[in-house]
Amino acid sequence: MLTWILGLGGVVAAVPVQASDDHGAQASFAVRAQHLRLFGNEVVHDGVLVVENGKVRYAGDAKRAGEIGHDVIEHDGWLSAGLVACRSYSGTRGDTLEGKRPLTAEARIADVVALDHVDFERALAAGITTMVIAPSAANVVSGATAVVKTHGASFVSREAHLALSFSDSALRFNRYPTSYMAALGELENALARPSGVWKRVADGKLPVLLDAGSRDEIQRAVRFAKDHKLQGALSRAPWAGELADDVKQSGLAVIAGPFDVGTAERSLASVVALAKAGVPLAFGVDAPWNSEEGLRLSAAMCMRAGLDGRTAWESLTSTAAAVAGAGTRVGKLVSGYDADFVLWSGDPLDLTSRVVAVYVDGQRAFGGAE
Amino acid sequence: MNVFTASTRAAAIAIGALLLSANAAADGKLAIKAGKVVQGPGMPEIDKGVILIENGRIAAIGADVKVPWDATVIDAPKLVAFPGFVEAHSARGMDRPNENIDPAAFLSVRDSIDPVNFYFEDSLRWGITTINIQQGNNCVIAGQGMVVRPMGITIDEMTVKTVSGVKLSATPKAGMSAATQAQALRKAFGDLQRYLEQLVQEKKDGNDRARREALFQGRDLEGENAKGRAMEGSAWKVAGLELIPRGEIDEKQVPLLALVEGKLPAFFYCGRPMDVHRALEVARDNGFLARTTLVISPACYKAADVIAEAGVPVVLEGPVVFTETDPLTGAETEIFVPGELKKKNVRFALSSANTTTESLWFQAAQCVGRGMTKTDAVASVTTIPAEILGLGKQVGSLEVGKAGNVLLFSGEPLSVTSWVEKVVIEGKEAYDRSKDVRVKHLMAGKAPANTQAMGGSASAEKKVVCCEGEDPAEHAKHLEAEAKKKDKGEGEDK
Amino acid sequence: MSVYFGLAIALLAGAPQEDKDRTSWTISAEWVYTAAGDAIEGGLVTVSDGKIRSVSSGDGGQLQCFAVTPGLVDLSVRIDRGWNAVEQSREVTPEMRVVQALDWFDEGWMREARSGVTTAMVNVSDRNVVGGMSVVVKTAGASPQARTVKADSVLYGAIGSAPSSSNHPAYGRPDDFYSRRPTTRMGVEWEWRKAFYDAALAQRDKSKQVAGTTELQKVLAGEFPLMIQAWTTQDIRTAVFLKEELEREGLGAPRLIVDAAAEAWREPDLLVRTKTPVVLPPFAPQGRTGEGSFFALETAAQLDAKGLLVALSGHGARQVSQRLAYQPGYAMRGGMTFDAALKTVTINPARMVGVDRRVGSLESGKDADLVLWSGKPFELSSAVIGVLVDGRLILDPRQANK
Repeated sequence: MLTWILGLGGVVAAVPVQASDDHGAQASFAVRAQHLRLFGNEVVHDGVLVVENGKVRYAGDAKRAGEIGHDVIEHDGWLSAGLVACRSYSGTRGDTLEGKRPLTAEARIADVVALDHVDFERALAAGITTMVIAPSAANVVSGATAVVKTHGASFVSREAHLALSFSDSALRFNRYPTSYMAALGELENALARPSGVWKRVADGKLPVLLDAGSRDEIQRAVRFAKDHKLQGALSRAPWAGELADDVKQSGLAVIAGPFDVGTAERSLASVVALAKAGVPLAFGVDAPWNSEEGLRLSAAMCMRAGLDGRTAWESLTSTAAAVAGAGTRVGKLVSGYDADFVLWSGDPLDLTSRVVAVYVDGQRAFGGAE
Repeated sequence: MNVFTASTRAAAIAIGALLLSANAAADGKLAIKAGKVVQGPGMPEIDKGVILIENGRIAAIGADVKVPWDATVIDAPKLVAFPGFVEAHSARGMDRPNENIDPAAFLSVRDSIDPVNFYFEDSLRWGITTINIQQGNNCVIAGQGMVVRPMGITIDEMTVKTVSGVKLSATPKAGMSAATQAQALRKAFGDLQRYLEQLVQEKKDGNDRARREALFQGRDLEGENAKGRAMEGSAWKVAGLELIPRGEIDEKQVPLLALVEGKLPAFFYCGRPMDVHRALEVARDNGFLARTTLVISPACYKAADVIAEAGVPVVLEGPVVFTETDPLTGAETEIFVPGELKKKNVRFALSSANTTTESLWFQAAQCVGRGMTKTDAVASVTTIPAEILGLGKQVGSLEVGKAGNVLLFSGEPLSVTSWVEKVVIEGKEAYDRSKDVRVKHLMAGKAPANTQAMGGSASAEKKVVCCEGEDPAEHAKHLEAEAKKKDKGEGEDK
Repeated sequence: MSVYFGLAIALLAGAPQEDKDRTSWTISAEWVYTAAGDAIEGGLVTVSDGKIRSVSSGDGGQLQCFAVTPGLVDLSVRIDRGWNAVEQSREVTPEMRVVQALDWFDEGWMREARSGVTTAMVNVSDRNVVGGMSVVVKTAGASPQARTVKADSVLYGAIGSAPSSSNHPAYGRPDDFYSRRPTTRMGVEWEWRKAFYDAALAQRDKSKQVAGTTELQKVLAGEFPLMIQAWTTQDIRTAVFLKEELEREGLGAPRLIVDAAAEAWREPDLLVRTKTPVVLPPFAPQGRTGEGSFFALETAAQLDAKGLLVALSGHGARQVSQRLAYQPGYAMRGGMTFDAALKTVTINPARMVGVDRRVGSLESGKDADLVLWSGKPFELSSAVIGVLVDGRLILDPRQANK
């Protein structure tokens, strides 16, 4: 009996740490790469990244690095910050929806995420180092999102946003609520006399994640955020760009995608319009059901539709990190930030490039030795 | 034993006989004096005009026509006379419009028309006096239609033209795909050709199987049917057909042969623009394009160029406004289909929509609203359908020599506030609104006492008014007494 | 009559850019029908900053047509989000506001606007006994705020078979909330009476206050009308008797309006004695229409002759011939005069829900909502060739045939 329980417990509780190769153990070293993609659109040719104790100490032109004092790994390719996916369901094994109750504000997806799950290895293979794991959008209030590193079995945050849904997937025919009105009423009531997690939302300490599909749903979500002065982001919101001014005024960011080669022109044009209006953008994936590669592909599809490279790159890294609430830790190769970076065969914004190696918190998480 | 003898059928096919109403007495004279006479599209209107109808035909029409002393007179100084509307194609009024067999050209709607079907009564209400009844659109090759007048209790009384054409469809029948439908059409004519060739070959071989079969089936092999005739097909022919007495040809193949020989009109249904190509191809390949009329759905305006090039007229089924929805944006665009057809010089007739109040006057009025001239709009429901049916000299306008089919409107004919007050078909009064129980019911909601209004929908209202005006208390007692009687098996029969 | 037939359903894309935002126009027509008095032959309407400035004799307007009428008002436009716009977890939900489920982007709005309907009321669907509060909106405009004419216009509900149609009696183990009362018309009526009695009780006993009580109390106080959908004779009767019972018992004096009152022709005196306005559904070709009711063609004329306030509605019909613009024509076919028919789609519905200070007639100071016709309005041989909403051109009469 005990063995059986231990056996079950063992599956959930295992927290492996990869310590297989030389650079795995070392937390201080340097990487010299042909091209270094820095913050914004800046690319440094012949750059170096210096890692100390798992944090970035320096990233920039190799000539200005000065005395490095650590082993230098040579990389014949590109180096950039690790990608940040602002929506994913990795590691949850599909356990994202409370089917019987529409309002579960105190639930946390962090309680479900298995940090050692193979989903995260696939994420690493796609160059993703930080992910926002979200509960299903099929409930009006489904609970709190979590932010995880894809390696090292650690939570960046166990309560990053409160996930709310304004879309009709949260409405049912045979369960309360069946209507938009009742769903909105619940949200209004929760903020009228906030307690628990809602209190943190009302005080501005916890941002919200608003799922919305059609334009009227987006309009409702934006109005709600404005009325209650909420921070956070819209999620999915395919044609939000047609309401770009409204979205901009609300201060909400938009987590778009995932897009692939079949995505309609109109959805891509929407992202471009949002960027033009100055709305912060990030991308999400529907992993593990759709590929994690969708993150980079989404950005590339938007670039095809006219999104400029700088915004595209920021939406994959720095802006995404800010939306995830980890903007001071990840998303940029700047001194003091976590040493989460990827070695690519080419420019990460070029879809023909592939991941060569991934480092999280200075530990090699993926890829072979050179 | 088939109802039609081969000789009657051949005569009908060859001549397209127009049978005047058996009810018009040989010496019947009717004079209609109307406040205004609208003769037809583009023709002058006559104020205080008189229409004299003798023996079913218009004998005189004008402002100063001398009315014979023995004529019945309809004096209607406040009404407007108008030609009866012509419905170029309809599949209503029958027991069931569609048949299961693929090639069924040997069938005739004559066997299926129900003279007391609500449709005919309703047609009079809206002023339709000539109707081409064809089988439905869910077919490959369906049977032969006929032109009827909505008057009479037997088919014979109703018949205007015994055979008006064969119905075909390029749109897949239920259960078929476009490919199988096309194949079925080709096969029908392919089978005809093979059959005729087999007949000729058998005759040359001295095999009299066909003759024996004809005799066994009791077909008439005398007179015209004993003679053979070379095939007259303009697209393809079978050599040696003159060797075969016409009576020996299988009756199931005779109508298709007549079609290929250009002797029968064809009404070809196209539900989608792509079907237009198929229909024209089949008609061309088998030599009956010159006698083809396309029956099209509104979406087929997209194939207007192709139709115009083929030079065939069309009957437009359904509403005159077609809504196109953009699959990406959901935006709706409304297209006025007759306008598009007119731009491409396609000759068209309109048809009444399924709900019978959206009748021919209604469709014509909508056309005027959408920018068509009144002349063109009226023509599309009178003279053009008449021409399409080969009855251009008989119906469609009020002119000397044409049939006396006259409507009397309470006001401007295309106005929504006007009613059809009277309908005269070939000189005989067929409809009088003041006596129309159904209209009273539609207007007031209550059927008049001791009448039963017919309904158009499946749940026809059975309005049985018992003891109208009776005191409620008395009525309750009365009903109780009736209930007791019913239990005993007696009582009023309701 | 068809001089102005330069018609295509040209979307505004064809109009010059500057005209799209313009809100000041002059419109002249051979006939101006104001719905507020006599028609003006050879009339000119001046529009300034989205409001009507003047209506007088004159000609030479920037926009020309054969006839002008006020923008049409439809109190039962039925453009909504279907199942997602009615809260079916309970049958009585007066506190629900349908404006929160409104899809402002629905293509139906453009369809209605192009067909001449400029003001419309959206109601909660008839799946609930008491659905909730309705909203009066313009069919076109810059934003939801700009388009809202009156929030909380009426409390809407239904009597008949619709509210009970998905409910079933408890059998076996119920797995959803549709296993509940009402399953019959009796149950529906019970819910209505209970809702009002409870609301009245809550006035004395505050502990009985629940969601929706306030709205029901306001109905009893007559603050806004109570609109009940009742197609058939017995349902209209029930609605009127409900109102009379509430009055008789001293609970209050609700202002009743009956929606989709197809069989109002049968017992008009009930409506006359309670002075109940009616909204009629679209005319049906053979008379038979919703919930098995029979809609007599002369209903509108008959009720109008008895002094009732009558409005027509289009139910958001897709088919051109069923749209609101042609319903007065059918009413005239049933014996109504033109002037009365014009009122049924303009000032009458506006008055019923209290938006007649803004819309419903062509009078100085009112919103510049106009419909331009190619011929005599409501005739099938006429078409709507121009529409203005708040002075903005939604449909441009100057577009030539393509």
